This record gives sequence, structure tokens and C-alpha cells, in this order.
Amino acid sequence: MAALYFAFGAIFGFILSRSGAADYNFIQSMFLFTSFQLYGIIGTAVVVTAPGIWLIKRYGRTALGRPIAIELKPRHRGNVAGGVLFGIGWSMCGMCPGPIFVNIGEGKIYAIAALAGALAGAGLFGAVYTRVQGVFRLPRLIVGTGDG
Amino acid sequence: MPLILHGLTPIHWAVAGAGIAFITLALLFVANRRLGISTGLEDVCSFVLPVPYFARDAVRSARRWRLPFIAGLVAGGFISAAAGGGFAPTWDLGMFDQVIGFGPAGKLAWMFAGGLFIGFGTRLAGGCTSGHGIFGISNFELPSLMSTLSFMAAGIATTQLVYRVIF
Repeated sequence: MAALYFAFGAIFGFILSRSGAADYNFIQSMFLFTSFQLYGIIGTAVVVTAPGIWLIKRYGRTALGRPIAIELKPRHRGNVAGGVLFGIGWSMCGMCPGPIFVNIGEGKIYAIAALAGALAGAGLFGAVYTRVQGVFRLPRLIVGTGDG
Repeated sequence: MPLILHGLTPIHWAVAGAGIAFITLALLFVANRRLGISTGLEDVCSFVLPVPYFARDAVRSARRWRLPFIAGLVAGGFISAAAGGGFAPTWDLGMFDQVIGFGPAGKLAWMFAGGLFIGFGTRLAGGCTSGHGIFGISNFELPSLMSTLSFMAAGIATTQLVYRVIF
């Protein structure tokens, strides 16, 4: 299965690379309201994915016959606070997490620093989790914060 | 507007959006996986940081698919560059170079600082553009909508501040 996930990632990465979703100028133009491209991409992705998920859940099984199980993300104060922090970082780097990896593959040298920062930031969060847990009403660790 | 990558013309947004939806749905239908990339940062951290947060079952059980997927993202970027004019490492950062104009050291510091916000913020929010913005909203999850509105608003505010006020 690892080869399949690798292939899915490669197709996904190629699309991000060639669409502007992993392009610094296109990200800034989205936030400056001077280009529709990224709004069109994200909007189309949601409009097509939503009925697709509905159909798959209705069918109830994967292609291999296993029951569909979608882990829901917990609701807490971190949804908004973390979103604000992430938005600042997305604007600064012109990359969200997926495009960081895509930009490294494209040969954008500075993207390696963005990855180092993102790993350090995630590591820092893991290290202070129990201390900020009460402030943001985060779930207990056995529950986890779900997929990202 | 051309891409920074070799000045290529971007593919149409509807085609790109449909392609992203196809991979998202394929991950769910074929492999029972919820699209999500920022959790992959935890997978990497879990190898080096011995704290309970990275020892969760949710992290360990997902390494098998998320790490190959992330390696695929890097490969996708590489194939895109190689097929679109050749793989050539670059410092080119488009309008950042024209307007802000930091050199390599300044860019590395700027990117590392932005990365800290991305890493800490996505983990606190519980997801990023993929897991909250695309999958979560498509699955009508309220926390995802709240998080997406937050990071879009903060991104707009930050870029407006940087490009219309400071520089």
C-alpha cells in the first residue's frame, strides 16, 4: 500500500505545484484579493469532495469492502486560536503544510527553512501540550487531536 | 500571472480543484483515510521527541500511510520542476524579492519564523488547509469551518499588513 500512497502524494503534489497552490505569488494574490485562482481551486475541491464523501458514506464501504470510518476532529478553543497562528504562517511563507513539501521537491531552497520551522513549531506544541491543555480545552491525549 | 517555477502558466482552477477532490475521495474510498497533511509533521516529530503527545495511537497508526504520502508530495514537486524546464535549486521568491528584498539569510530567518507559526498553529487548530479546509468542510464539520475562517482571516490580515502597510 505504501507505493499507492506515494503515487497519490505525487499526483497531489504535481497538482499543487502546477496550479499556484504552492506558489508564493499566488498565495499573496489570494490574500490581497488580486487573483481568483486559489479561491477557485479550494472552492471547486470542496464542491466536488462534499457530495463525494456523502456518496461514499451512503455506500458505507471502501473499495475493498471495509466499513467506512471517518475520525472527526474535536471541537475546542484551539480551532480558532491555532487557525489564526497558522494563517499568519501561511501568509509569511506563502505555503501551507502540503506545499512546503512540494516546494522542497521543486528546488526552492528556502522551503527547507519553512519545514524546519514547522517541525520545531509542532515539536514545541507537543512539548507544551499538557500546559496549554486547560487554556484551550484540548482533549485528553488518549483521544488525540485527530488527523490534520 | 505565471508561476514562479520556470514562469509556467498554471492549470485552470477548476481542473486543479477537481484533481484535489479526486485524490481526497480516492484516499477515503480506497484506503479509508481522511486527507490531512499537517499531522504528518507529528509523524516526523514522533521519531525524535519522547513526549506523550507524539506517542498517541492516532500518530503511530497513521505513519504507514502519511509518510509515503508526504514523500510523494516531494516527488510530485520534483517531477513538476523536472518536466517543466528542469530541476534547478533556486532562491527565487517572486514578489517577496521585488517588494521586501531580503537576501538568502533573511529569507531563511523569515521562512523559519513563518514555519514556527505553521507548525504550532496547525497542531493547536487540529488541522490545516487539507484536513480542515478541504476534508473537514466537505464533511460539514463545525470545528473545521471555524478553523478555516480563522486561518483565512489571519492570512488576509497578515498579507495586507505586510504588502499594503509595512513594505
